[in-house]
Amino acid sequence: MSSSSDTVSISSPLEDYLETIYLLVQEHGFARVRDIAGARRVKAATVSVALRKLAEGKLVDYQRREYIGLTSKGERAARRILARHRLLTRFFAEILKMPREAAAEQACTLEHALTDEAMDRIVRFFEFLGRCPSVIEAFQRCPVAAGADEPGLSAAASTCASCAVRNDVKLMTLSDVEPGQSVVVTQVASGGALRQRLLDMGMLPDTVVDLERTGLGGDPLWVRCQGARLALRRSEASTILVRRKA
Amino acid sequence: MTLTLLESPSVLSAPRARPPRARPLRVALAGNPNCGKTSIFNALTGARQHVANYAGVTVERRAGTCPLLNEPGELIDLPGTYSLNAYSPEERVAEAELLAGPDVVVVVTDSTQLQRHLVLLVQVMQLGANPVLCLNMADEARAAGQTIDVEQMERLLGFPVVETVGHRGEGIDRLVAAIDRAARNPVERHKLVLGEDLDRALDDIARALPPPARPEQGAAWVATRLLVGDQRQTRRVAALDGGEEAVALARLHRTRLEAATGCDIAVFVTERYFGFVDGLLREVRHRPRHVDTRQLTDRIDAVVVHRLAGLPLFALVMFAVFWLTFTVGDYPMGWIDAGIARLGEGLSQLWPEGSDSPLRSLLVDGMVGGVGGVIVFLPNILLLFLGLAFLEDTGYMARAAFLTDRLMHRFGLHGKSFIPLVTGFGCSIPGIMATRTLENERDRLTTMLVLPLMSCGARLPIWMLLIPAFFPPAWRAPTLWMLYGFGIALALLLALTLRRTLLRGDDAPFVMELPPYRQPTLRSVVLKMLTRSQVYLRKAGTTILAISILLWAATTYPKPPSYQVDAQLAKGELALAPEEVEARRAAEDLEHSIAGRLGRALAPVFAPIGFDWKIVTAMIGAFAAKEVFVAQMGIVYSLADGGQGTDSLRALLARDYSPLVGISLMVFLLIAAPCMATIAVTRRESGSWRWALLQLGGLTAIGYLLALVVCQLGRLVI
Repeated sequence: MSSSSDTVSISSPLEDYLETIYLLVQEHGFARVRDIAGARRVKAATVSVALRKLAEGKLVDYQRREYIGLTSKGERAARRILARHRLLTRFFAEILKMPREAAAEQACTLEHALTDEAMDRIVRFFEFLGRCPSVIEAFQRCPVAAGADEPGLSAAASTCASCAVRNDVKLMTLSDVEPGQSVVVTQVASGGALRQRLLDMGMLPDTVVDLERTGLGGDPLWVRCQGARLALRRSEASTILVRRKA
Repeated sequence: MTLTLLESPSVLSAPRARPPRARPLRVALAGNPNCGKTSIFNALTGARQHVANYAGVTVERRAGTCPLLNEPGELIDLPGTYSLNAYSPEERVAEAELLAGPDVVVVVTDSTQLQRHLVLLVQVMQLGANPVLCLNMADEARAAGQTIDVEQMERLLGFPVVETVGHRGEGIDRLVAAIDRAARNPVERHKLVLGEDLDRALDDIARALPPPARPEQGAAWVATRLLVGDQRQTRRVAALDGGEEAVALARLHRTRLEAATGCDIAVFVTERYFGFVDGLLREVRHRPRHVDTRQLTDRIDAVVVHRLAGLPLFALVMFAVFWLTFTVGDYPMGWIDAGIARLGEGLSQLWPEGSDSPLRSLLVDGMVGGVGGVIVFLPNILLLFLGLAFLEDTGYMARAAFLTDRLMHRFGLHGKSFIPLVTGFGCSIPGIMATRTLENERDRLTTMLVLPLMSCGARLPIWMLLIPAFFPPAWRAPTLWMLYGFGIALALLLALTLRRTLLRGDDAPFVMELPPYRQPTLRSVVLKMLTRSQVYLRKAGTTILAISILLWAATTYPKPPSYQVDAQLAKGELALAPEEVEARRAAEDLEHSIAGRLGRALAPVFAPIGFDWKIVTAMIGAFAAKEVFVAQMGIVYSLADGGQGTDSLRALLARDYSPLVGISLMVFLLIAAPCMATIAVTRRESGSWRWALLQLGGLTAIGYLLALVVCQLGRLVI
């Protein structure tokens, strides 16, 4: 629940009321008890109780008058809740591809449960996704998004250049290859000097690598690539993503 | 990729005015490892070459002169590198040499590996160098059915292209002519097209470079390094006035190119290099669809690196090398020994019989004796280097690293550490020098520092003296084996500790090319052996000479004013043969000398590990060379024949010391204080006294501690 200094700690039903009042004011310029009751499908008496509580927190301007307005503090709180609601709805609907209505419902539940910090991080992540739509596309193309089962997955997923090695999905690396097999490099995910050395030796995406033999005990590996014989350790080979030769 | 020129004028290909040269011509040889660059270098320079180290790094700098060229000049053989990306010391050295602007850069390639080897040429072109392309090993490529349209290639590249067979000297005359031609007419602009997007980005960055970072040569290279985010270049340029802008621009282009291609920038740039090479080769290379140049190598490898047969075969090969080194080497060693002895005698005769001239002693005992003790090992070293050079040139060395890497890696070492370590059983000096094959600084230092723990040949006489003195016959062989085993175990343990503490860091990439087997030429093997042995000899002539003189002085001066033995003889208390009198006098000399006094002074320090002043004094002398310990013990015990391996010395040792002290002594001598030549070579090979002194101090401390443990625990048990 919110605990930052410029908002008052209010329970989730009250947040919903605040949100409703804000929307009504936005739409009609004012909100009346019966409009609120209608929108939230509760009795007017219930609304009154809630309004009294909100007034105690100086969130609404309520003196048993018919027209209810939000204080500036209340307006800030309402906008915040609404922004969360919209963001989460979009997240469930647009990225996770849930039906709109179910997405809105999930958003309603979740918007109250998240702390400010968690929400802030989600917002930042969302901003990142907005800037980098290829990540969303990659996710939606990936069989993982469609809920594919593990076994058939690895081969298909390994063709995606955006996949990182440390994905939960087990990708095939050069260290999984048996002697005598031939594979195609999809990505060199090693770091620093190793990566540059491999690139310099011609181990680039789409080149064919044959694993010819291994040392005693399976290490190091002896491969052929671009006409050269190379020896590399198993730990190094595990940073090279490959797919089976078509 | 096409080879047309960019239409817009680009700063990258702006014509350069090269001022007339006032200094001698400078030619650099660049190339991948295993491209036969050294054979080209040898063919060009003959024996007119010398090897040194680059300052601060353990990279060999080979330079020479070529008399065939029109004008005199220096030829530099750059270290073999796959690229100039400055990840290894070799690459940094090569980059720096090329940025310094040699007049001509000969890029040597293996004609059978062109698609990989020409990538370095692309980088050399980016550096704005004035290249000559040398297509080496042209015979192998022709045998595989490949032909290169050299004229077409020259037309497309705009600089000379020459086919050679380096080890047979074929095409060297043409190469020399090409270098002359290139020196006279340097390339004005390179026809290098890496794709419009990349070329535009590089041009843009190059324009933004502040003038000091924009050498007439190499703007494209600096721009590329900034684009791929090379930290050294980025820092260097950012520190310059207006450099921040270029760095920011490079970052912008990087983001843009990565977003546009969906590809990491390093991969993107490397792919473009390979793309250019592919395009070029498509225009100039004709070869049958299926070339199999490697059949013979593969057939050999099927046996040599066989899962089960590989290691035993390797053991056999190593045994053969050692047999050659130490059995065959024994004969010339004997001759040199005799020669040195005769030299000593010859020098002595310049003085009258019985003279005790200090100069005579200095020359005979100090200089001839000290340096001679090291020169004696020259045949061993020559033969060992001959064997190693042969294995290296055939391509077997890389296989050996492949076979042993798994074992060595467990202890934080590298497959290539194995051969230097094994060499250490013969002598630490060639072992330490053999660590040059290790590319990574940390691997090399670790190997170097623990190498003296391999019980060297000079320690064998000590074991031969001590083991029979303290152990019954049945125990002698096992004790010797245990000593060797203990040294190995300690070396591996220490290597592991070093890699986790002082020399911590990620493992260097092991990725290693296994070159095709080639028949080594006598010329190249002998040259390699000689240039490396030169280093050893030079060391013997300088540092080792100096230390020998110091040690001689320490064991000779000051002289006692009179000898007790003379007094006793005068009183008639003793009746001794003349040799015995001499021996007594020598013992008194030593006891009275700095070494003897130091021995006495240090004796309390060594008391906890059971040593008395006699042992300590002998050990001070043994710093010159380990085996001197035996002779020094002989002198201390005033044995007439110097006590060389005699039973009388053993009997005296057994009388004076317990077997426990014997063990403690062997442990200490195995580990502590490697000889002065080892320290001097470590200093040279590591490039700093810091590591040499650490080796000396560290091993001595460990030796002391372990001897202490042996001695104290032993006393509790017994």
